[in-house]
Amino acid sequence: MRRAERRGRRDATGPGPGRLLGFLVRWTVTHPALGAALAFAPVVLLWAAVAAAGVFPRVFFPGPAEVVRAFASLTYKGILPAYLEDSLIRLAAGAAAGTALGIPLGLAVGLSRRAHALGWPILLFFQAIGDIAWLPILLLWFGFGLTTMTVVIVYTVLFPVVLNTVLGVRSVPVELTRAAASLGAPRWRIVGEVVLPGALPNILTGLRNGLGYGWRALIAAEMIVGTSGIGFLMFDARRAGQVTEILLGMIVLGLLWSVVDGWLLVPLERATVQRWGLVAG
Amino acid sequence: MKTLVLRGLGKTYFDVYAGAHVTAVEDVSLEVKDGEFVALVGPSGCGKTTLLNMIAGFILPSRGEILLDGRRVQGPGPDRGVVFQSFALFPWKTVLDNVTFGLKMRGLPRGERDRIGREYVALVGLAGAEGRYPADLSGGMQQRVGVARALANRPDVLLMDEPFASVDAQTRMTLQEELTRIWQDRRPTIVFVTHDVEEAVFLANRVVVLSRAPGRVVAELTVPVPRPRIWARLVEDGPFKALVAEVLHLVRPV
Repeated sequence: MRRAERRGRRDATGPGPGRLLGFLVRWTVTHPALGAALAFAPVVLLWAAVAAAGVFPRVFFPGPAEVVRAFASLTYKGILPAYLEDSLIRLAAGAAAGTALGIPLGLAVGLSRRAHALGWPILLFFQAIGDIAWLPILLLWFGFGLTTMTVVIVYTVLFPVVLNTVLGVRSVPVELTRAAASLGAPRWRIVGEVVLPGALPNILTGLRNGLGYGWRALIAAEMIVGTSGIGFLMFDARRAGQVTEILLGMIVLGLLWSVVDGWLLVPLERATVQRWGLVAG
Repeated sequence: MKTLVLRGLGKTYFDVYAGAHVTAVEDVSLEVKDGEFVALVGPSGCGKTTLLNMIAGFILPSRGEILLDGRRVQGPGPDRGVVFQSFALFPWKTVLDNVTFGLKMRGLPRGERDRIGREYVALVGLAGAEGRYPADLSGGMQQRVGVARALANRPDVLLMDEPFASVDAQTRMTLQEELTRIWQDRRPTIVFVTHDVEEAVFLANRVVVLSRAPGRVVAELTVPVPRPRIWARLVEDGPFKALVAEVLHLVRPV
């Protein structure tokens, strides 16, 4: 971030006609969120134009202004913040549980040839049965409730984390574990000092995929199972014919992912694998 | 005196692609005395690296045995430090944390291992780079860290597997000269594997020539060239050039 700022300042010092461009470049570099918002300007303008032209009935195709009004009203009533909180807590709990289970499991399967021979085919099999495919049977077992939703999210997050951890463990160069062993590291310390950090780029990829899939699975589960949450908000709005609220829910989903990516995943990668030169910055 | 003894050492493995047993090392017997600098030289694919990997304990020999200080080598251990061709530094550790890794495994407290680590970082000429990450260093600098990391752990034997093969020619000469300086200064026991005949003669007290695969010892020659050894001086040196020629004829018989 600090480096980006410095770069931005240097760009802006250019004199003459390049000044406005320099200003825009600096602005988008120092405020990446605003820069990203700028990219959406044409999309929003087109949307507003189509809505204003009245090609479709306003009830089925509301414009940005209506959605902003719905946002303000639902926020004022406290519904949107409460639902958002519910969804995020579910995702965070599921992701934490999935990661806590997934990394050790991935290490075990990646490190032991026997565990790999047994575990890998099973992992591939269950990975193929996607999250939502479990819903029918989970509904019968656990009913319409939090348990069903939690199982779906943990399941969805678990597999990308496990599979990528296994790949990461197996991608650690053999010279590194040999070097550690010849410096006197016992096996369990090699796992902590070499295998785990060496597998981190893949583990982060797994976490990124897991969170992405988990987020989608959560919304789907909330539509079917939920009594609150963004997914429930959208599905409930459908029942009431509130297209505005459905659109609002969709926009919130997209925005929220940018927040998770920009505030959690990107800084995590910058502090670790990018700094170590394991992936390009 | 910690002597390294190889007795009738051999390695045969099953090559799944060829579908046949392949003998990489035939029968090697060798003795390396405490404080000696021995270079193993031979044609490409003669089993030099296999031999070194067996001494390091990374792979098990099919025949024969390896004794260090009378004890049989059973696996990798801190008594045998290794410098790799690919450097094999830990990318997530700083220069200092790489160098002190072995001391950390031994349970030395942070202050003490950092003090020792700094000494070895300075020994290889990298003072000031302690806090940098390997990815920020040139190949030559990375291998200096590799040497410091192995030496800081005070091994009985330093095993070096073509350590300067992946740096440019100029840097290689500098590193070779620095290694002879460090050897003169600290007198570690070194087994140095290379396919570069000049490098072997330049560095070692004794050059062991291996045959074409499967590897056997063809000849052992002592190197009477005085130290300190400096390229600028040896490049015109008659006895040095004669010895290089002699070893070259043994490695590549006509």
